[in-house]
Amino acid sequence: MTRSMRTVALVALAGVFALALAACGSSSSSSSSSGSAPSGVLTPATEAQSGGKRGGTLNVLNHEDFEHIDPGQSYFSIDYEADTVTSRPLYSYKPDNFKEPVPDMASGVPQISADKKTITIPIRHGVHFSPPVNREVTSADIAYALDRGANPNVGNPYFGAYFNSIVGAKTATGGPIAGITTPNKYTIVFHLTEPKAATVIGALVLPLSAPVPEEYAKKLDAKKPSEYGNYQVATGPYMWKADSSGKILGVGYQPGKSATLVRNPNWNASTDYRPAYLDQINISIGGDTNVIGRQVLEGSNMVQNDTPAQAIVKLAYEKFRSQLEISSGAGDHYVALNNKNGPFKNVDLRKAYWAVLDRKAMDKARGGELVSDVMTHFIYPEIPGFEQAGGPAGPKLDFNEHPEGDMAVAEKYMKLAGYPSGKYTGSATVQVVGSTGSPASEDAQIANQALTSLGFKTKLNLVDQSVMYSKYCGVVSEKIDVCPNVGWLADFGDPEAVLSVPFNGEYIVNNGTNSNWGLVDVKKINKAMKAAELVVGKQARAEAWAKIDTELVEEAVAAPYDWSKQPNIESKNVAGVGDVANEGSWDYSFTSLK
Amino acid sequence: MARYIIRRLLWGVGLLIIVSAATFVMFRVFPTADPAKLRAGRLQDHRVIAAIRHDLGLDKPILTQFWIYMKGIFLHFDLGYSYYSTAPVKTLILNRLSATVSLVLGGAVVWLGSGLAVGIISARKPRSRLDRFSMGGALVLVSAPEYWLGLLALFAFASDIGKVKIFPGSGSYVGLTSDPVKWFTSLILPWLVVAASNAAVYARLMRSSLIETMSEDYIRTARAKGLSERRVVLRHGARGAINPILTILGLDIGVLLGSAILVETVFDIPGIGRLNYDAITHSDFPIVQGTVLIAALFIVVANIVVDIAYAYLDPRVRYS
Repeated sequence: MTRSMRTVALVALAGVFALALAACGSSSSSSSSSGSAPSGVLTPATEAQSGGKRGGTLNVLNHEDFEHIDPGQSYFSIDYEADTVTSRPLYSYKPDNFKEPVPDMASGVPQISADKKTITIPIRHGVHFSPPVNREVTSADIAYALDRGANPNVGNPYFGAYFNSIVGAKTATGGPIAGITTPNKYTIVFHLTEPKAATVIGALVLPLSAPVPEEYAKKLDAKKPSEYGNYQVATGPYMWKADSSGKILGVGYQPGKSATLVRNPNWNASTDYRPAYLDQINISIGGDTNVIGRQVLEGSNMVQNDTPAQAIVKLAYEKFRSQLEISSGAGDHYVALNNKNGPFKNVDLRKAYWAVLDRKAMDKARGGELVSDVMTHFIYPEIPGFEQAGGPAGPKLDFNEHPEGDMAVAEKYMKLAGYPSGKYTGSATVQVVGSTGSPASEDAQIANQALTSLGFKTKLNLVDQSVMYSKYCGVVSEKIDVCPNVGWLADFGDPEAVLSVPFNGEYIVNNGTNSNWGLVDVKKINKAMKAAELVVGKQARAEAWAKIDTELVEEAVAAPYDWSKQPNIESKNVAGVGDVANEGSWDYSFTSLK
Repeated sequence: MARYIIRRLLWGVGLLIIVSAATFVMFRVFPTADPAKLRAGRLQDHRVIAAIRHDLGLDKPILTQFWIYMKGIFLHFDLGYSYYSTAPVKTLILNRLSATVSLVLGGAVVWLGSGLAVGIISARKPRSRLDRFSMGGALVLVSAPEYWLGLLALFAFASDIGKVKIFPGSGSYVGLTSDPVKWFTSLILPWLVVAASNAAVYARLMRSSLIETMSEDYIRTARAKGLSERRVVLRHGARGAINPILTILGLDIGVLLGSAILVETVFDIPGIGRLNYDAITHSDFPIVQGTVLIAALFIVVANIVVDIAYAYLDPRVRYS
């Protein structure tokens, strides 16, 4: 997914998922690798997940608003902050672990048939919907939740990508999907048209699989667009504050102003691994990030749950270090080079560009080492396969050796590309489309400067990020040569979730929203990816995808520069716990007041 | 007079139709991004995008879309719904109107009061130390960006993060009806910041206008009749000098009601300006369209009010 607006990753977690679930059934078995941070700075790995003080109200100051509060439509880290504590999908991740999902609404691991075309999942007993529905959740509620994923009125962004292999899903429009059956109240079965059980299971950690009561939601889903989000009911420890009819809009959520999460009176702690210490979460939306940051650092009972201003991160690091959390594995940024059209069809030109790009300067523009590591390959920290793909240093290739840029190596590849002077002498003007706003615009300028240093004539166009994706970089027919501000964030803790959509030629979308921005379509890599999708076993998968990662580097399919780390801040009396699975955002169901 | 007002109102309606048409062309004919794709979210299935395009009526001929759009606005005041929250744009705007009106009208009272007073005093004693000090200060305030001034005010005087903790800070705004005292105190700093640059402009304008007016024949006549200097200045001079002030006051209030973005953001006041800013950053076109229309409405209404006020303040002005 993209960094700020989660895009899809066609993920297959493969059979390893079931093994992983079995392995982490006990809460003590999860081993975290939530990354390192400077001394005194918190990380999700260092934050206690138990023993918090019960009670109190947490005040969340967010600059940004939610995008979609309906769990069937949400696909954004701030939306997920609420989803994580109000909706219980079939599986989910504990805060410090993005590698091993645990059963949530499910009561155990999925059973996969030998042909990998049938999945049977047991459902937890004793989970009830919040008012006004109140009744116990059954498997039919999960089936309906998934049915609505195909409903255009809901507009779920990833249903087609993950669940199309379910029988009847491709033609579904919101009605019952033939391939989802519920033999009894506590069992759900998925029948697939092809052996893609791993893909379907992998997607069950997303909020779309959180139960929705049909008798309550159907009339709301019939509206265009669906109004269920504004009347939704919860299964998690918290619910959106609502009036007696269940209405949230204008009560517990005022767009652009505030949101209020209160305890779900029907939540049963014995059915959930979340401790849910807080009584209430008041979310204030808007305000300037420089002001919000100071209010949080100098005040009490507060956190900021979107990215703080760079000046505030610096202030926190220098003067409030114990109130700063850094979560690694918050995605990546790279320069997409058009592999199909224009000069960068030539692999040596791409290598030359990679070699000359000053990745250190780009990371410095983002805030330096505290919030960014120099990216040397494509699988990022916290994702299995990262170490196998070369770890922080990455593959030992000359164009990858000097992150500050190396003109001598670049000239070597320019010559190999057919430019004996070491500079580009072709007639093409390279079209560069980047994003406005800091630090994206600075990164775009540096990326553009690297092009001109190689002799390219460029036309740099900076536009709003949503426009950059929806009108330029994500539209194949635009044939943009260079997109310096694209980024990716995995939906799942699996290397396939990182590499597949952005670099698999099979997933280029010619007539829609394409996320293979460089139009990377290397036949041998496509084939390797197809084979790796079927690999079972955590270690084997990591190795298979790491090998693909190295091949992508060897082809210099894009020029990577930033492994992002997410900074978070809290007041002194807050014991925040961040979710690695959601860019390090604070998890309200584990956070407490001191 | 009545005929004049009716004529101005009709002109106003005409202007709003033109603005509506312009926003339609801007967002439907030449959109910066496909509304159906924005509504659908990223990497959406093309079938869903097509269904959403149909639901939004974007697959209809452009003239049909225009007719539906104008009919919605002028017959039902239907401004559509947000692509993100799915809340009706009309509701979102109405919910935020009171905050913006509170900010702008309160600020206008402050800048008019202080700006006119300083302008009159400076005009009475041109080139005096007081005049030089006032006009120098005005120059500084005009040059100070509102955003910077807002941050400075908060870091200096906000009760939570200020050095001298006096006034409620960012995020403290509450509605007038829920707590009038809190409403008032929470707006003191924003009012001062909104007023600062405007007061400076008004002071300079009032000064120059009053200096010119005070040299008119009718002022000499007033003095010859033995009126006190205070009465001459305030009753005759200031009244004559105020027309250019009124002209820009109408525009300023109208514009600010639709675009007090920086002050609303710094002080976390949930008003129209911030709604517009958030919508622009998310390409939430229906909200942008709605706020543009409302801003245009404010400007039209403010100008009509100003024109009517002319007649009362300046006896030389007669409408026919």
